[in-house]
Amino acid sequence: MFYLDFLIVILCFKPFRCRSLPAQRKYMRSPLIPEMATQEVQLNETLAHLKTESETLKSKLEEERAKLHDVELHQVAEKVEGLGQFVMKTRRTLKGHGNKVLCMDWCKDKRRIVSSSQDGKVIVWDAFTTNKEHAVTMPCTWVMACAYAPSGCAVACGGLDNKCSVYPLSLDKNENLAAKKKSVAMHTNYLSACSFTNSDMQILTSSGDGTCALWDVESGQLLQSFHGHAADVLCLDLAPSETGNTFVSGGCDKKANVWDMRSGQCIQSFETHESDINSVRYYPSGDAFASGSDDATCRLYDLRADREVAIYSKESIIFGVSSVDFSLSGRLLFGGYNDYTINVWDVLKGTRVSILFGHENRVSTLRVSPDGTAFSTGSWDHTLRVCDDCYFFIGIKYNQNLCTFNFTPCAPDKPPLSLTATHLPKYSNLKKHIYRST
Amino acid sequence: MMSSKAHSSNNIANARRTVQQLRIEASIERIKVSKACADLMSYCSEHARSDPLLMGIPASDNPFKDKKPCTIL
Repeated sequence: MFYLDFLIVILCFKPFRCRSLPAQRKYMRSPLIPEMATQEVQLNETLAHLKTESETLKSKLEEERAKLHDVELHQVAEKVEGLGQFVMKTRRTLKGHGNKVLCMDWCKDKRRIVSSSQDGKVIVWDAFTTNKEHAVTMPCTWVMACAYAPSGCAVACGGLDNKCSVYPLSLDKNENLAAKKKSVAMHTNYLSACSFTNSDMQILTSSGDGTCALWDVESGQLLQSFHGHAADVLCLDLAPSETGNTFVSGGCDKKANVWDMRSGQCIQSFETHESDINSVRYYPSGDAFASGSDDATCRLYDLRADREVAIYSKESIIFGVSSVDFSLSGRLLFGGYNDYTINVWDVLKGTRVSILFGHENRVSTLRVSPDGTAFSTGSWDHTLRVCDDCYFFIGIKYNQNLCTFNFTPCAPDKPPLSLTATHLPKYSNLKKHIYRST
Repeated sequence: MMSSKAHSSNNIANARRTVQQLRIEASIERIKVSKACADLMSYCSEHARSDPLLMGIPASDNPFKDKKPCTIL
């Protein structure tokens, strides 16, 4: 009996991502002809042999990893001083997108932000003033990826158009940016993430077609492609430049893969998440990376130990993580969640140190600013927010020589504060009150 | 329309790739978790002082903070 199986691309979003079936095709099979039977048997034997070798190697891999698993990170970190409670505060709200914000990136100048939205718009903001500096309308909706060029002179974006396009930013506000658009990357499914390498000349992309690719911006030429994920690739992050030419990607196959950019080879693979990996980010030293997943956990993988070394989760957190990023020292891990919150984790001890509310819908994207002073989040509530932390003081004494009031921080790891009277609210006895920096 | 022979050799090619990939992954050099964690911790402590989100920085140095640095609780 003949039958045909078709490769079906299901356009039901995750809810906002395309999901294609794993690339397994079934071909039309004809009934076995007698003289082909022996060859078929031989091929099946080779296949069985390879499968056995594959299983053996997998066990060996687990064995080798387990041998070196002598301790947990939070155990080693017991002797480290704990962090006080953090209070995060929204400093700026960027309003202007007409629909869900899907992605954002900081400019190296620590002040500009590029964001992209479901409505097809890509906006460049001055985060200090909240002014919109540029706006581009893409020919497609669901612009899932955007990135700022290292020079600050261009932005890249893409999504349902299956492409990554680069727009040089003009100083002339009236100039139509779309006119100078350059199509760089071409995938066979949606673009999920893009990032410039350390120059404006190359872009790394990941796609719903299951691959990542490195492109030359000027010529649009494909320089290297990366095959190995068994389903949509949802995110990528480049290793800090000091640590060499690698990047990590995460996908719907629950795997995080580390790739050699020059050879296209997958050099390490981690499969401990229980669902799609939505975000990956390198630890600032380049020796580890964090991931955030639909399984409601963030995890830390150490590259030299070749294993997962920490899980950041709580029973009360049941919604997926859409995006993660580290603070400058790597001590804090910020996670944007589908339950509209941001959870801040102590990377070493594995505990949560803060939770931030404010968005009125899922947090879809999160990045710490290049100088580490703030972090920005984008949400399905159409806004972006720039946040940092504030902390608590007790007023102690007045310094008559300097005419300043000296405050002692309530948390021992925070710096003291010294303020002149003009900066203070008028209260009769400062000592009695607890202050919060604004 | 593909013959069952071609189907099988596709599977074999995939299986070979998997085995090749696993060989590469199995052969990398690893260090102990205790050493890896110690290194992560020392990186954190070396850079803690210059991490604004961790330590906080004076209002005058942070362009996002308001000019009036305190409110009473």
